[in-house]
Amino acid sequence: MKRTVSSACAILLNILFPLLCAQQPASNPEAILQHAITLHQSGDLEGAIKAYQEYLAQRPDSIQARSNLGAALARAGRYEEAIGEYNRALAQSPDNPALLLNLGLAYYKTGRPAEAAARFERAASLAPQFKDQVTLLLASCYNSLGRYKDAIALLAPIEKDKSGDPGFDYLYGTALIGDGQGAAGGVVIDRILSRGESAEARLLRATLKMSAHDYDGAIADVEKAIALNSKLPGAHARLGELFFARGEIDRARAAFGEELTIDPDDFTSNLNLGVLAKQDQDYPAARRYLATALKTRPNDAGVRYQMAALDLASGNPDQARQALEALIAESPDFGEAHATLATVYYRLGRTADGDRERALADKLIAARDAAVTGATPR
Amino acid sequence: MIRWLAVVGLCAVGCIWWIAAGAEEPAPRRPHFTDIAPKSNFTYKTDNNFTGRKYFPQTMCGGIAAFDFDNDGHMDLFFTNGAKLPEMQKTDPRFYNCLLRNRGDGTFEDVTAHAGLLGKDLGFSFGVAAGDYDNDGYEDLFVCNAGRNTLYHNNGDGTFTDVTGGSGLENKPKDVISVAAAWFDYDNDGKLDLIVSNYTAWTPETDKICAVNGQTFYCHPKVYASVAHRLYHNLGGGHFQDVTDSSGFGKELGKGMGIAIADFNRDGYMDVFIANDTVRNFLFINQKNGTFKESAYEWGVAYDDTGNAGSSMGADAKDYDNDGWPDIFYNNLKGQIWGLFRNIDGKYMNYVSGLSHISRLSARMSGWSNGFIDYNNDGWKDLYSSNGEIDDLGESSRQPDTMFENVDGKQFRDVSSLLGPDFVRPGFQRGSAFADLNNDGFLDLVVTSLDQKPRILMNSADNGNHWLLVNTIGRRSNRDGIGAELKLTTGSGRTLYNHVTTSVGFMSSSDKRVHFGLGAEKDIASLEIRWPSGIVQTIKKPKADRILTVTEPAR
Repeated sequence: MKRTVSSACAILLNILFPLLCAQQPASNPEAILQHAITLHQSGDLEGAIKAYQEYLAQRPDSIQARSNLGAALARAGRYEEAIGEYNRALAQSPDNPALLLNLGLAYYKTGRPAEAAARFERAASLAPQFKDQVTLLLASCYNSLGRYKDAIALLAPIEKDKSGDPGFDYLYGTALIGDGQGAAGGVVIDRILSRGESAEARLLRATLKMSAHDYDGAIADVEKAIALNSKLPGAHARLGELFFARGEIDRARAAFGEELTIDPDDFTSNLNLGVLAKQDQDYPAARRYLATALKTRPNDAGVRYQMAALDLASGNPDQARQALEALIAESPDFGEAHATLATVYYRLGRTADGDRERALADKLIAARDAAVTGATPR
Repeated sequence: MIRWLAVVGLCAVGCIWWIAAGAEEPAPRRPHFTDIAPKSNFTYKTDNNFTGRKYFPQTMCGGIAAFDFDNDGHMDLFFTNGAKLPEMQKTDPRFYNCLLRNRGDGTFEDVTAHAGLLGKDLGFSFGVAAGDYDNDGYEDLFVCNAGRNTLYHNNGDGTFTDVTGGSGLENKPKDVISVAAAWFDYDNDGKLDLIVSNYTAWTPETDKICAVNGQTFYCHPKVYASVAHRLYHNLGGGHFQDVTDSSGFGKELGKGMGIAIADFNRDGYMDVFIANDTVRNFLFINQKNGTFKESAYEWGVAYDDTGNAGSSMGADAKDYDNDGWPDIFYNNLKGQIWGLFRNIDGKYMNYVSGLSHISRLSARMSGWSNGFIDYNNDGWKDLYSSNGEIDDLGESSRQPDTMFENVDGKQFRDVSSLLGPDFVRPGFQRGSAFADLNNDGFLDLVVTSLDQKPRILMNSADNGNHWLLVNTIGRRSNRDGIGAELKLTTGSGRTLYNHVTTSVGFMSSSDKRVHFGLGAEKDIASLEIRWPSGIVQTIKKPKADRILTVTEPAR
């Protein structure tokens, strides 16, 4: 998926860079801007950033210069600073689709798919010509956010045209499998494999097998995927989940750690490493991992619940109470949250509140248990 | 919503790390275990009648009681067994239960038929609880079944009589499977009452077939309904009253497995912890008026620390950190985390599976019976678990037992591989009981395994540590002294705590004598016993390395 993003970045740089490049005296603000652009295009990013900043010191309202500064910062890997510049530019021009697109990309690169998706959606609505460029990025964001139905809604209409595009097939297969449409996902996997061995297809097939609790088969597929592409995003995280399910925690921890060397913001790895650190009662580390996971999926109920449980475990029941009350206000059917809140209330001496939450937890969990069928392995 | 929450388990570096670390320290001398069952002539094999068709109860077979039925001073062994399915009858001797008399020379004699304990008329048997319910000085047996449960009265002459009929124990809700039971005196009237953990209502006709992609497996427990556990009040004269509803037990529906008995808040009345399979655990706190309040949420033991109800199996409650408060240990299945809860001053419990390294050590194991056991007599209670997966889906489904050694009451390390090949024999282990079978002061282990003869694992008792074994005889209290709390202070001032109970682990009943390991210390300053009657008895400077029989004073 990172390949898809890289190509989109290249397109956007072309969109945003003015092609004027005549050398000008450095004392003239316009000459400074031109000099910055020249440096930018020549690949001297640090020089360009300095020149843009010099120009903006004299012309702070220049949207173009600020946008270019953001692009140079992003290209230099300084995404947080780029986000700041894009947001400053957008404050002056809130409906600028190119700015929104670039900001979305910067968010995407920093592992914040929720923020990225919001900008991509807005850019596409403002400038339909961006829709094609945005579709795959947006689908990738939706997959990262677990919004598989939204990804499918985006991708299904273009399947006929895009089928065969490796990026499309991978995203679509991921969405289908994530949505529990294993059979349709399997068709996409077969389509990818018909073109030859593919790391992406192996990873998708592993996901499919994992959902059927075939952990051994899934691990074999992920390991094959990693052999084909050791940097395949998500592969090590999936391997970690599979080791986790088999109780091989040491190997799971190593796999999650490996994923973070590829993508430090990977949601799954940060979440699981956070849970592992919490289990080890290494609370600072747990909080750090979970905060990163929360950055990727803001408001994720599961991560917020883990944070609250962390508060309780580390001896802060009142902090846990506040977090759980807020979580339950937004996710009233979250049985585990009610259960933990009951214990928190009892711990705080609020017996009546504890009794109420206990009754709710028992009811919600019993209702969920009733949905378990004979096709549910332990 | 967040099924990943169920995926909690923890790092297995502990074992390797600790072994490596051990090289830098003086290597502790550890006893090991040797299976002496092959020396004895008996035919019992744990037989769940698995023939390809997977019936729900088959996973739970092979309960054990370690008890001295003939009062010769040697712990004897009783095993429960399965039945022909779907008939649910012990149609063949291979399904009979089994009583082995300890000859005291390292061999056992099968005396089942003479004792009248074959159980020919019983269905599929699960757990067993030993206790002297009529205070006549002879240990009796209660056997849990898929059909009617059974109370066997020990006649004192080597035989038992089924006295279930008319006792009040013969009736239970239709089709309910009773899995485990524990004797305890909840109202301190001097007579042992009985708590029975029930799993679900089931018959071969209602058995479900569960499969994914053509692969059948034992069904997820949640496809079966939860039921109430049952409490029976001992009225004396061999009669019991079902007080399930009036006591508060009837309000909570669970899938009961192991039962742990302890006075968690030390108010002088015994409480009950019940591990439930895939349903939250229960902690019934005794209200001292014949009723109990289910308080697992208040105490923080209903779920693990992420709100998950794992497949809780065996349970035990003992004081692992010698702070005077009984803690809780339950095990569960692979990929889950065994629960260790530390009692905080009798007010609530902290989940310490992570801090204690249990999470790191247990994630790969599927545990069944379990318990706190000071196997090396160092004064710290270690954690034992009999392991094996539910389904036989490959060679790795067979698992070895585990012993997690207690390091100064704070953390545990896996020493299983150091305890001898008989200890780590892979299998589908199920029941387990602790007993000092040769009265050498070191606890031995008895373990059942599906489709296998049981292992009788003798402790080599060769690390030189000292010990005391206390046999309590109640007078005002129940004769077994179940519920008595013991505090031992060594010559150096170290304090150790334990209490009398036979309910340990899953489906099993252990040696009622209270065991203390003393480490290198040979001097004991005092032994204090708080009897269920409330009488406190102090014995000054009892000698170590012996079995001390203590009779409750009149007042």
